[in-house]
Amino acid sequence: MSEIAIVTKELTKKFGNFTAVDGIHLEIPEGQLFGLLGPNGAGKTTLVRMLCTLLEPSEGTAEIAGYDIVKDAAEVRKRIGVVSDGVSLYKDLTIEENLKLFSTLYDLPSNIAKDRMHNLLDMFNFKEKSKRLVGELSSGWMKKAMIIAALIHDPKILFLDEVTTGLDPQSALALREFTRKLCDEGVTVIWTTHYMTEPEMICDKVGIIFEGRLIQMGTPKELRSSVSEQSLLEIETPNLDHSTLKKIEEIGNICKVTYDDPILKASCIDEGDKQIEESVTKILLDAGAKIRAINTKEPTLEEAFISLTGGEEEIDRFMEKARQKI
Amino acid sequence: MFNEFRILRRNRSAILISLVVIPFFFTASLGAGRGGEGETYSATSELPIAFIDEDLSEASGRLYESLVRSEDFNMLLQGYREEDALATLGKGGLYAAIVVPEGFEKRLLNNETGIIIVHVDDGSPGVDDAVLSNIDASLSNFNPNPRIKQTGNIEFVGVEIVMKGASFSGFAVGLTITLTMVVVFATFYEIAGGMSRERETGTYSHLLVSPVSLGSIMIGKTLYDVCLNVMRTFIVLGLAIYVYGASIHANLLSLVLSVLFIAILTMGFGFLVSSFGIGVRAVVIIEFFLILFLFAFSGFFIDKELLRGISQTIATVLPWSYGIDILKRTTLIGQPLMSLTYQLQIIAISIILFYGVAYLLLKLSRERLVK
Repeated sequence: MSEIAIVTKELTKKFGNFTAVDGIHLEIPEGQLFGLLGPNGAGKTTLVRMLCTLLEPSEGTAEIAGYDIVKDAAEVRKRIGVVSDGVSLYKDLTIEENLKLFSTLYDLPSNIAKDRMHNLLDMFNFKEKSKRLVGELSSGWMKKAMIIAALIHDPKILFLDEVTTGLDPQSALALREFTRKLCDEGVTVIWTTHYMTEPEMICDKVGIIFEGRLIQMGTPKELRSSVSEQSLLEIETPNLDHSTLKKIEEIGNICKVTYDDPILKASCIDEGDKQIEESVTKILLDAGAKIRAINTKEPTLEEAFISLTGGEEEIDRFMEKARQKI
Repeated sequence: MFNEFRILRRNRSAILISLVVIPFFFTASLGAGRGGEGETYSATSELPIAFIDEDLSEASGRLYESLVRSEDFNMLLQGYREEDALATLGKGGLYAAIVVPEGFEKRLLNNETGIIIVHVDDGSPGVDDAVLSNIDASLSNFNPNPRIKQTGNIEFVGVEIVMKGASFSGFAVGLTITLTMVVVFATFYEIAGGMSRERETGTYSHLLVSPVSLGSIMIGKTLYDVCLNVMRTFIVLGLAIYVYGASIHANLLSLVLSVLFIAILTMGFGFLVSSFGIGVRAVVIIEFFLILFLFAFSGFFIDKELLRGISQTIATVLPWSYGIDILKRTTLIGQPLMSLTYQLQIIAISIILFYGVAYLLLKLSRERLVK
């Protein structure tokens, strides 16, 4: 059984009267890619900052690799890597100079640091740019440079806070693939994002954070199912008669059928059930109906998120509140 | 206009600087000047100066009285021997010694010029001129012996003042000012500005999530800046000696150490200021005030001994004035560093205090300093 990399109990952070993070319980095993999903200002970054010892919790406790984030902060720092907007590299130094500096701060023996630096630069195709000043790099390359710097000491836990923001699609994809590979090698990754599609693509488990509270946690599939177990079959078929519709309604596992010429919508209990699609198609063809297009829609994590956070109005209200705070 | 006010309303440090600090500072300076207006101002009236009467005559007694009566010498101390007074000069106990040699009255009675010798603390440039001009002024009311006027047989010729002590060219004094200014200006910006920049760009946060301790960060920055200041000192000295022909009396090590005391003191202050989480712009404003304070109150141009009232109180509490004093004494007269124990103690205590408080504040305000 894998060890627990991160555990938090009632972790809370207050700034004056404002509670940024509110009693969060988490247990993340080693090697897991854990996604923290939430809108801007939901408390993701504050939670990450507490876990990487930049902020002290107002209440509750947290342990990283078995070390308390307050009492053993120095031990925690040795074991983590952080990539976040507020944590930067020296722009007046080259990427190589930055890496040398940070490997010194982590007390890495020079030969190990050198090997690791070359491997990482190779892995990220950074060799040619390693002598360039960080300040001269584009935002995509800058992000990569920060990831390399965060990995230089071979951390057990990596915090990636909104890393794909501002990245081009290719770089974002490469980064997701690389992160997945890291987790397969045993590194625990906390990936915070406000892009709803990202956790679905890579995360083993996702926590939805809203107004400082962790409102739901599970695999992307579990989160989607928590909103609705139904998938939607959408068929474009004109001039359907009433008796055909009745036949479709009588198919098992179909709970609702609506028809607004030419769109037929059927909600299915078992998502992605190909049998239902085949049964409906057969009825339509037997009735001599024309089928122009067939679509099966499953609930997305975005829909799950909106549903769990109380709908779009609730998110708008929260965003307005967050803007006022800023 | 309303937008400007809106911006100002959101910027507490701007409100503080524009509405409190600047008006308060300049009004206080004006008030300090006015405080001195009601008094008979004299640069030397509060300086301890020894009066050594080796003639023990009526004329020398009258000279003492006229000096005291002039109110330019309210701290004229008697009972010193010349050797003791010379040994005390430059250590903060005495700023000058007026010696009336044996035969003073006899020379006056013989219709010759009376001679008095004035030793000045040559580590305090500026005191010599003030003492000389005030003795001169006091002698205008000096009547060596009532009999001279009554009988009319003997004419009072006058008294010659022989000044002893190094006299410095403006350039040599200017060199100490230049060195201090270069060191304070650059060091404060490097530390306080550097910390603010690191905070603003997020590299400070990066250091904080690494295992490096706050103490190590402070030591690292201090060592780096010490090296820079050593280089800076040699550049200024090189220019002064080889380009402008300045004559330096100091032992090189003492001189460099004196500069480093001022630099490390400024670094401590820089760390202290940076703990308030201010931006680079605010650092520049504070630097302006620091330099202004040093110009006005720490012996940059006017020796702190010659300041009066609130100005002297500020000079006494400003640790830089002791650093500048050390630099002047080592540079101008080659006074050994270890003989300046009082100044060194003040500097050491101030450095420990600045670094200690800065460390505590940086630790306590860690969260505020994270970008």
